[in-house]
Amino acid sequence: MGITSPAGEDRHGGGEPAEPMPFKFVAWGGSADVSFWHRLADFKLDTQKLTEEPVNISGFFAPCNQPHAPSYLQLMMESLPPDPGVNDGPIEVPYNRNRLPVPGTLHNTNTVETYNALDKPALLRSAADKIWDDIKSGRAEEDCSLLSRFLVVSYADLKKWTFTYRFAFPGLRMSPQATAASCQPACDFFTKDEAAGVLAACTEWRALPSGASLTSFLLNITPDAKVKAQSLKEWHDAQHEGGKVILAFYDPSNLPANPGWPLRNLLALASVRWGVTRLQVLCYRENRSGLLDLEHSPVLDIILPETPEWKEPVGWELTARGGKGSKFVDLGQSMDPVKLAESAA
Amino acid sequence: MVLSQRLHEAFKGAVERMTSPRTVSAFKEKGVLTPDEFVQAGDNLVSKCPTWSWEMGDPNKRKSYLPAEKQFLITRNVPCLRRACSIEEDYKAAGGEVLLDNDGDEGWLATHGFDRESKDEDEVVPSMDAQESSARPSRNFRPLVPQDDEDDDVLDMDDVGDDNLVEANDSLSQPDYLLAVEPEDDHILKTRTYDISITYDKYYQTPRLWLTGYGETRHLLQPELVLEDVSQDHAHKTVTIEDHPHMAGKHASIHPCRHGAVMKKIIDVLVSKGGNPEVDKYLFIFLKFVASVIPTIEYDYTMDFELGGQ
Repeated sequence: MGITSPAGEDRHGGGEPAEPMPFKFVAWGGSADVSFWHRLADFKLDTQKLTEEPVNISGFFAPCNQPHAPSYLQLMMESLPPDPGVNDGPIEVPYNRNRLPVPGTLHNTNTVETYNALDKPALLRSAADKIWDDIKSGRAEEDCSLLSRFLVVSYADLKKWTFTYRFAFPGLRMSPQATAASCQPACDFFTKDEAAGVLAACTEWRALPSGASLTSFLLNITPDAKVKAQSLKEWHDAQHEGGKVILAFYDPSNLPANPGWPLRNLLALASVRWGVTRLQVLCYRENRSGLLDLEHSPVLDIILPETPEWKEPVGWELTARGGKGSKFVDLGQSMDPVKLAESAA
Repeated sequence: MVLSQRLHEAFKGAVERMTSPRTVSAFKEKGVLTPDEFVQAGDNLVSKCPTWSWEMGDPNKRKSYLPAEKQFLITRNVPCLRRACSIEEDYKAAGGEVLLDNDGDEGWLATHGFDRESKDEDEVVPSMDAQESSARPSRNFRPLVPQDDEDDDVLDMDDVGDDNLVEANDSLSQPDYLLAVEPEDDHILKTRTYDISITYDKYYQTPRLWLTGYGETRHLLQPELVLEDVSQDHAHKTVTIEDHPHMAGKHASIHPCRHGAVMKKIIDVLVSKGGNPEVDKYLFIFLKFVASVIPTIEYDYTMDFELGGQ
């Protein structure tokens, strides 16, 4: 499945390679920590009560920063609206490069029956429609975290302190599929001078305090290897500057030849808003020093269909074996007041 | 939790509530920190190792002697490629392969191995009974890798087709995405990940390290299972399961009662070799000595130190 560069003689993929290969996105995974479930229990009891109305939540992620495991979309206490009971004044939350927020929607049901009866395809479709709207209106170029909008369905049994849940990451599907003319590590794709410039530009971009909504960006490389990072909405302007424009995104995937999920909707944006059929993409991953890892970040030379047909979106998280199924967590031992009292006795 | 431990926690909590935090630096004399020094050392860790960051934690548990936005430090999704206990057992077995497919791996949280066995056909809420089924596949641990053989590992179209889960490339044979799957072959350990946090322990006046473990698909691990990733000399002794001071739930923690003394020893060695350890390096030294307790968890403490006799 690995995609290799055709002999690498044409460094920038300008010429047609022998045969573009289909490539696969790595499905994104969701994760929730204990404090999220505690907060959800409180939120359900104090705020949401009997309603099953969807709630806006935030997930958090960072680009993959080591080769052994992908980065997950994490739910934490702060994913849900804060407890109005805590009244110590608003605290400025400093920018945290390790938790970039992504908007999501939580559908928490009151019973197992309503949970099982949720119309999941419809929920996914409606979330995908929002992504479409954001692409077409241009909002997604202002705030590209909108492209990674996600869903969580859950059933919280607060008598037993068990939670059943499932994530979905709506992905827009084009047909025919995008293919890759080449896939090379960034250190091979860029010349030495370009690599230095790309590294510097990415480092600067990553440090921007507004970086949370800037999870995708453009790298504009002039013929004399000067590199600047720009926001997505500058795509058309950047085309006229005569340089080479590369799309970059913070990539949760750790696999050498497979980009992570956020690229899927980004390609939809590139196709629909920019009308491109050829696009070079840097999958931005980091080393442990928090810098672009040139060896482990692939650059894909992607070929998009000219007039793609759009299919039903995909995205419900599958089990590790590829099956359908909810995840389940039992926090009875650490949350149930009765059990806590017993263990204290 | 054993009774003596509970009594001690109650005592410690009472003392912490009644005493004010340390204000005079005793870093070189006792190996301990004031809250301000903890923040200073934490700032340095965050700036040198950007995988670490400050957290605010639960507002209801906020400690007034620390800045609201710098209550504790955390690094998330840290890989742990093999179990510390298996390394030691490997050694004892003189090369015999030690597998970790005991039931203890599964408890508490439903996992994906279980999903495959019993839930692929139709989606239902799992029951606890099913979880205890002995028909689970053996679950060993290895890094996530792409599979060449997709038929088995990626998707079963029959199972998922009606849910629109799958990109099919119209041929129903080539989904355009891939799952980080759990391969079948044994003998290779699978990656767990950890969230590691460092809090300030007011009673012992030292940092305190906490571990929250996740299985290979990032499902929460029962805190007891975390002990498999702790050097067996320390499991159940210096590493205990307790309430986290800033987050919900019980987490494994390295008990800080000896931290001051150990830090003092290391600092003395550094000084005797002509070094002049600064307080902002405290956490680098601390994390280096903690590595002996959790040898297989690959967190960052990249600043290089010459620790003499280490």
